[in-house]
Amino acid sequence: MLLLLLVIVVPAPAYAQQEQPPLVRVGTEGTYPPFSFHDPRTQELTGYDIEVVKAIGAKAGWRLEFVETQWDAIFPALDAQRVDLVANQVSRNPERAAKYGLSSTYTYSRGVIVRRTGDDRIKSVADLSGKTTAQSSTSNWAKVAREAGAKVEAVEGFAQAAALLQQGRVDAIVNDNIAVLDYLATTGSKDVEIAGDAGQAGSEQVLALRQADAALLSQANQAIDALKADGTLRGISQKYFKADVSVQDGGSADLSEGRGPRSTWDVLRSTAWPMFVGLVKVTVPLTALSFAIGLALALLVALARISPYRVLSGLARAFISVIRGTPLLLQLFIVFYGLPQIGLKFPPFTAAVIAFSLNVAGYAAEVIRSAILSVPRGQFEAASTIGFGYAQTLRRIVLPQAARTAVPPLSNTLLSLLKDTSLGSVVLLTELFRESQLAAAESNEFLALYSFAGLYYWVICVALSAAQKRLETRLNRYVIA
Amino acid sequence: MNDIRIEVSGLHKSFGDLDVLRGIGFTTSRGTSTVLLGPSGSGKTTLLRSLNALDTPDRGVVRIDDVSVDFSALPPGKAGRAAAARLRSRSGMVFQSHNLFPHRTVLQNLTEGPVVAQKRPLEEVVGEARGLLDQVGLADKADSYPYQLSGGQQQRVGIARALALKPRVVLFDEPTSALDPELVGEVLAVIKDLATEGWTTVIVTHEIRFAERVADQVLFLDGGVIVEHGPPGQVIADPREERTRRFLRRVLDHG
Repeated sequence: MLLLLLVIVVPAPAYAQQEQPPLVRVGTEGTYPPFSFHDPRTQELTGYDIEVVKAIGAKAGWRLEFVETQWDAIFPALDAQRVDLVANQVSRNPERAAKYGLSSTYTYSRGVIVRRTGDDRIKSVADLSGKTTAQSSTSNWAKVAREAGAKVEAVEGFAQAAALLQQGRVDAIVNDNIAVLDYLATTGSKDVEIAGDAGQAGSEQVLALRQADAALLSQANQAIDALKADGTLRGISQKYFKADVSVQDGGSADLSEGRGPRSTWDVLRSTAWPMFVGLVKVTVPLTALSFAIGLALALLVALARISPYRVLSGLARAFISVIRGTPLLLQLFIVFYGLPQIGLKFPPFTAAVIAFSLNVAGYAAEVIRSAILSVPRGQFEAASTIGFGYAQTLRRIVLPQAARTAVPPLSNTLLSLLKDTSLGSVVLLTELFRESQLAAAESNEFLALYSFAGLYYWVICVALSAAQKRLETRLNRYVIA
Repeated sequence: MNDIRIEVSGLHKSFGDLDVLRGIGFTTSRGTSTVLLGPSGSGKTTLLRSLNALDTPDRGVVRIDDVSVDFSALPPGKAGRAAAARLRSRSGMVFQSHNLFPHRTVLQNLTEGPVVAQKRPLEEVVGEARGLLDQVGLADKADSYPYQLSGGQQQRVGIARALALKPRVVLFDEPTSALDPELVGEVLAVIKDLATEGWTTVIVTHEIRFAERVADQVLFLDGGVIVEHGPPGQVIADPREERTRRFLRRVLDHG
């Protein structure tokens, strides 16, 4: 079999000519149990899809790198070449087949409708008309719901959808029966139940690749066929579902003995450390770096803004106006998803630093500008009579005095930035908030986990506020007796 | 001729429609004190600020010692700024509202210019600066911040800061106008000492009695021109021009 693979691989140019095995970046949610989630004991990414794609990678001779992001960002990431392949229960449909390279089927499943327990208004797909469902907005299940006449509320994963349903904010969910069974077994929830099939004959889940990567697709298909033939897929499926979902009619999935419910305390204890790591490794460096670069840029923009040169001050004014007039999330998406389309592709952390520091620059520039203008005219004149040039006057006379005025509003900018870095979770950054999302998807402990994440943010903010106070005292020492 | 420290000719300056200087010319000799008198709006402060290019005249020539700038032919941009900076480097300036650097100690206010702009060695500059503080009677305030001083002390530091630059000329822009009356004396005493020590000074002031005692030359300005000039014994004690007499009467009545 391996020999056969080798024969097929050799003519494929891009991947075969490299000496090292090709690196394949796999896009997956990491929040969709039991297909793609983090094992609460080890924090490792695991699940049916993860094990399947690992087996495929081993067969095809790939090196794998997993990139976790929310569902609605997965296909943009594939388009922007941030991932090479999506393994996340992608259902085959005509639209996707037209746009992407879809592999052989590795999961056969059926859609089911979930309702609040005892809600008799919803029994079949026909009953969804005029109702509201919660779905990942770009998923195949959302399409099914829309076609049935339902209004779709966009969510970031099944756990969120289930929470909305339980809270009565939506009427139903359409999703994969396996995902639903896993949820019921894991949470022990009696609040929601399966109302019936989602009408389709059944759905097929596949890997999605870019159409241009035909060689990679054919390697994937060869590997899937081989894994079906040698029973590997059946083994993985049995382990998770006690049925073989890799073939049609392989029995009903049974997840009743799966991951049982855990106590809130247990969930918090196992998540506290990964959240702390996300804080220390991503949130804090991202904040510090973006703030430092942003301040430097802000100073330049502020100086340009007050310079007598019309072109310079016009450009600065335009920059400030654009930054302050558009949402930060949109700026982040432009840098991360937009710029690659004109050939400017940055890794997630770099992209986030660029977007955040430009944003800081836009806001801080106005703070610095007004602080500079608050320094009395006589100080500039006195500096020039002792022989100082522009740069010396700024550095030694004006900025130290402007700092007094600027520190309180700049501290606000810093605190906002710290919290805004949670938006990094949507551009593939596993920072503090993303860690809490991952854990919440697996355990459904929204209140406890998000509160705990909030506690981390709050503690850092308190520390920063204390530092601000000390700095202000220091800067005030020459005006207050 | 070598004794001429400041030479001004044909100086014109207007702010919008207002002609503030309309053809000013005068010279001052080395080691002398020149006092500019005149009603407010006469152009005396603008004239003083033109001597170190804080205000840029539209036309005319200013020469201080070896640096001469023809404002009629001032090149635009960087070259013009460099010429202005060279002229400025020949003088020290004492402001009406002292303009000390609030975030620097008294000593640092003095050393900043010589060390940072003139790039002279710190130790030498500090030694001189302490000497100057001693001279203005503030040796014990070297490490204070400006806010800890009285108005008169602040202005004396302002004078020491100007002297620390070792300028050829010291310019005073109404150095006592912002002070409480009881603090005026100590500042004028310091300025008088400088004059007797041989510094070349140009002083804008309303203190007529002080001008009488300290000035070698008095210039009376009105409407942007020099109406009358000469030694104080003539311009102040026995003015020829009616405008001068009217001004002096008014000021002395109130003084």
